[in-house]
Amino acid sequence: MATTVVTPVPTTEYSGGTIAREQVSLWRDGWRRLRRNKLALAAVIYLALLVLVAIVSFFWTPYKPNFIGACDTYQTPSPAHLFGCDELGRDSLSRLMAGTQVSLFEGVGTALIVLVVGVTVGLIAGYFRGVVDAIISLIINIFYGIPTLLVALVLVVLLGQGLVNIMVAISATIWMDMARLVRGQTLSIREREYVEAARASGAKSGKILFGHIFPNALGPIIVQATFIIPVAILTGAFLSFLGLGVPPPQADWGGMASEGTAAIRYVTHIVMFPSLALSVTLLAFNFFGDGLRDAFDPRQRR
Amino acid sequence: MSRPILEVKNLSTSFFTDDGEVKAVRDVSFELYPGETLGIVGESGCGKSVTAMSILGLVQRPGKIVGGQVLFKDRDLVKVSSEELRQVRGRDIAMIFQDPLSSMNPVLRIGFQIDEAMKAHNKIQKDDIGPRGIELLKQVRVPDASQRIKDYPHQFSGGMRQRAMIAMGLSNRPEVLIADEPTTALDVTVQAQILELLRDLNQDMGTSIILITHNLGVVAGLCKRVVVMYAGEIVEEGPVEQIFENPQHPYTWSLLRSLPRVDSSKHERLRSIEGLPPDLIAPPPGCEFNPRCPFRIEKCFSEDPDLVPIGNAQHVACWVTMTRAFAEMGAATITDTRPGAASGVRPPKDLLEVVADLRTLAEPEVLETLTADPELLERLSGEPTALERLNADHPAVIEKVIETLSDD
Amino acid sequence: MTRGTLIYIGQRILLIIVTLLVVSFGVFAAVHSLPGNAFVSAHLHGQDLKDLLHQYGLDRPIPIQYWDFLKGAVHGDLGTSLQIQGEAITPLVIRELSVSMELGGSALLITVGLGMLFGVLAAMRQNTWVDYLLTTLAVIGYSIPSFVLATLGLLVFGLWLHDITGGAFYYPIQWTGTYGTLAELSVPAIALGLYTSGQVTRITRAAMLDVVQQDYIRTARAKGLKERVVTLRHALRNAMIPVTSILGPLIVGIIAGSVVIENIFGIPGLGKEFVRSITAHDYNVTVGVFTIYAALIGVANLGVDLLYTVIDPRIRY
Repeated sequence: MATTVVTPVPTTEYSGGTIAREQVSLWRDGWRRLRRNKLALAAVIYLALLVLVAIVSFFWTPYKPNFIGACDTYQTPSPAHLFGCDELGRDSLSRLMAGTQVSLFEGVGTALIVLVVGVTVGLIAGYFRGVVDAIISLIINIFYGIPTLLVALVLVVLLGQGLVNIMVAISATIWMDMARLVRGQTLSIREREYVEAARASGAKSGKILFGHIFPNALGPIIVQATFIIPVAILTGAFLSFLGLGVPPPQADWGGMASEGTAAIRYVTHIVMFPSLALSVTLLAFNFFGDGLRDAFDPRQRR
Repeated sequence: MSRPILEVKNLSTSFFTDDGEVKAVRDVSFELYPGETLGIVGESGCGKSVTAMSILGLVQRPGKIVGGQVLFKDRDLVKVSSEELRQVRGRDIAMIFQDPLSSMNPVLRIGFQIDEAMKAHNKIQKDDIGPRGIELLKQVRVPDASQRIKDYPHQFSGGMRQRAMIAMGLSNRPEVLIADEPTTALDVTVQAQILELLRDLNQDMGTSIILITHNLGVVAGLCKRVVVMYAGEIVEEGPVEQIFENPQHPYTWSLLRSLPRVDSSKHERLRSIEGLPPDLIAPPPGCEFNPRCPFRIEKCFSEDPDLVPIGNAQHVACWVTMTRAFAEMGAATITDTRPGAASGVRPPKDLLEVVADLRTLAEPEVLETLTADPELLERLSGEPTALERLNADHPAVIEKVIETLSDD
Repeated sequence: MTRGTLIYIGQRILLIIVTLLVVSFGVFAAVHSLPGNAFVSAHLHGQDLKDLLHQYGLDRPIPIQYWDFLKGAVHGDLGTSLQIQGEAITPLVIRELSVSMELGGSALLITVGLGMLFGVLAAMRQNTWVDYLLTTLAVIGYSIPSFVLATLGLLVFGLWLHDITGGAFYYPIQWTGTYGTLAELSVPAIALGLYTSGQVTRITRAAMLDVVQQDYIRTARAKGLKERVVTLRHALRNAMIPVTSILGPLIVGIIAGSVVIENIFGIPGLGKEFVRSITAHDYNVTVGVFTIYAALIGVANLGVDLLYTVIDPRIRY
């Protein structure tokens, strides 16, 4: 044979039977995966109950949550006071129920603030690039270089211990992750053909940002936002534990755990229930977030 | 001929995925003789690499060797303990891979990776660790070897990296070297150098080589014998020159036709093979090449041909063979290579299609008779032209057809 | 070290300096605009208070005060405490930093050690009960706030074990000296380290699963290396690259956790000092602690970046 030219033969990639499967709607497929994830499902049920408790606690609790003298101080759990009473003789179950409001507000409220700030900043940095991006990236880097919980502490002291101020303070500690994520997504999406096409046809920046780029980055943004909730609740609990949370007498889990820790030599029920509530709630949010990410983030698929 | 050094017998390897069992290698048998260079060719996804990895037990979950033997020095490598297998790997049988960049650990120095291969088998004295690596790099013609041995893989060019891989593979003087697409990721000029290197090593050191490639040109330049694989099976096997001069399987024939040649006229188009390799979870019934074969006959849809000797050490698994295709189907002058183009045989319809067709053609009661008789349906679906005839003559004829079919 | 690396280090140091300036000024302006000051609690009024404010220079405009602070800071003098009058801040925070680093360093070792061990085990036994157990433990790990773990540690070691053994086992709940004994250190360090170890477990597991799919792992096996060598030398070395990437955030997380842990266990570190200073309006200390933390994180991040080049030779700045 005279054939010595070594050239790759044109080959066709083997694709098997997977092409049709990839075309199944990402979202529907995602929901299917999420529903199959039993841990995530259990988490959703728990969180739904938690929201219910929070709503109910606005109208009814076994005792008034801030009523001092509902029972004896440090009273251990009994039929009349299922979770016992705290150092001021307030009913712990009622306070635990009322504390749900604080945690959920802090979690969801902070996630919303971070969503608005992070998405806006990230979109701007990623879309306009250049000097704007450089400045925003510098600010993000500075925030990564400081102990953010301490920033939150200073901010709470500075702004005052209101619920909204606390949310703002917590947001200041975690907005960078969202901004960085959205910036990265924007940088990659803005180079795609359909964005090029929109730009070429004279669409305004705002239209491109919110009409094309934002919807396409929505999946990772939602997943990220879900993970912000537990982090925000945790940070809020940290602040309360250090005495810089929502002002007394409002009940909240971090503050209750702090009071319980102080009384730990005498009774353990005061610290136990809020700690448990906090841990289970964070666990539920994390399981839910994991389920959501596994279901909707295509990079996680194997 | 002497005894084969490596004998693969009825090897089958499958991958158990969520979508089903992918039968990547099915019932593959071949031998490798001492000092020989054997080529294994086929398109991507035809089971070449999995065959090679099965020999050394490198198939990872969800893959598994489901049957067969790999006989090396009277031992079945499928059966031996993992420690015994480890000792064979790299010492007796070495392997080099397609992409030398991804196949070398990016965080370890080249020299370390070569030494490590020798240390794994205690084949090196402590004092020799450095010098031996340099010697090996020199042997595979890496310039400035004593300096470059300290480099990391990313500091090497593609060709140099593949040389280093080969040095690593040869470090324990293995009796068999399996080269899995060793030149695919490289520039054309570098390809030729690497192949020359492999040829020299084969001649100077007597190492037996299994060369896996999709490139028939590479096989022609290096191998004495070639095995052609398709859809996890061997479809043709024999001496290289014979296979090139006189391919008997339509797949081999198509592969050769798609090969660019210096001596071909400029006006002759390169012909690629129509279609894709089959889904190995549910391969087509009969011969797996039938959906792409221009010369298929009806038997190809029902029975899978075995690999049979056809003289002069050549084996082929085909009901037609190219000899017949040339004699009866004008293969020599064929321009239309679409499936079934030369033989005019269409694939049989499956039962559902038959029923659907009948529903549009037949009267209700006739349809009832037909569907009540699964055996009859089966025969109808196996008779590709029956429905065409039905179409032509309409309901009245159907009853006749049914009568004749039920009479046999 | 190449020229590029030096330039990179220079840039990073510049970023640290910018961060320190921004942070110290921000905190300085913030705390000085707060109502009240450290002397309020000292029940001083009228002329006495004015004299004291003047003595500490607190009656001057904030930019001038900040300028003074900066002048001192570049010479390593962070000023004096307002509450503990006359106490120099620099030696104070440096001593407290060493205490915090003892705690934080132990926690980091626990976090990375435990996390990588669990992550590798889970990946090696992917989709078995070992994997499910460890990954679930990891999520539980970072769902339990460190102060809850700390309280649990107090309960078990400080109280219950004491009661069960009839007083034979005694765990000191509060640190006695400046630097804790190994026993005193262990419970807070574990409480602090467990929380972040969950994240390390997850990252390590994901990285290992990714790495073992790589071609070079197949090559390592084909060379006849022992499976243990393949896992530890070839897979883990590469899996450490993504793990390194979260070291920076990990350190920040441990610092945040240490603020609470130090307060629970009475550990005389920076975190406890920070909370004291901010609730006591001891501004100068607040600013000093903040600055030290920011410098610490900056240096740690730079260290992580340099660690990268050691672990992954492909990375050059």
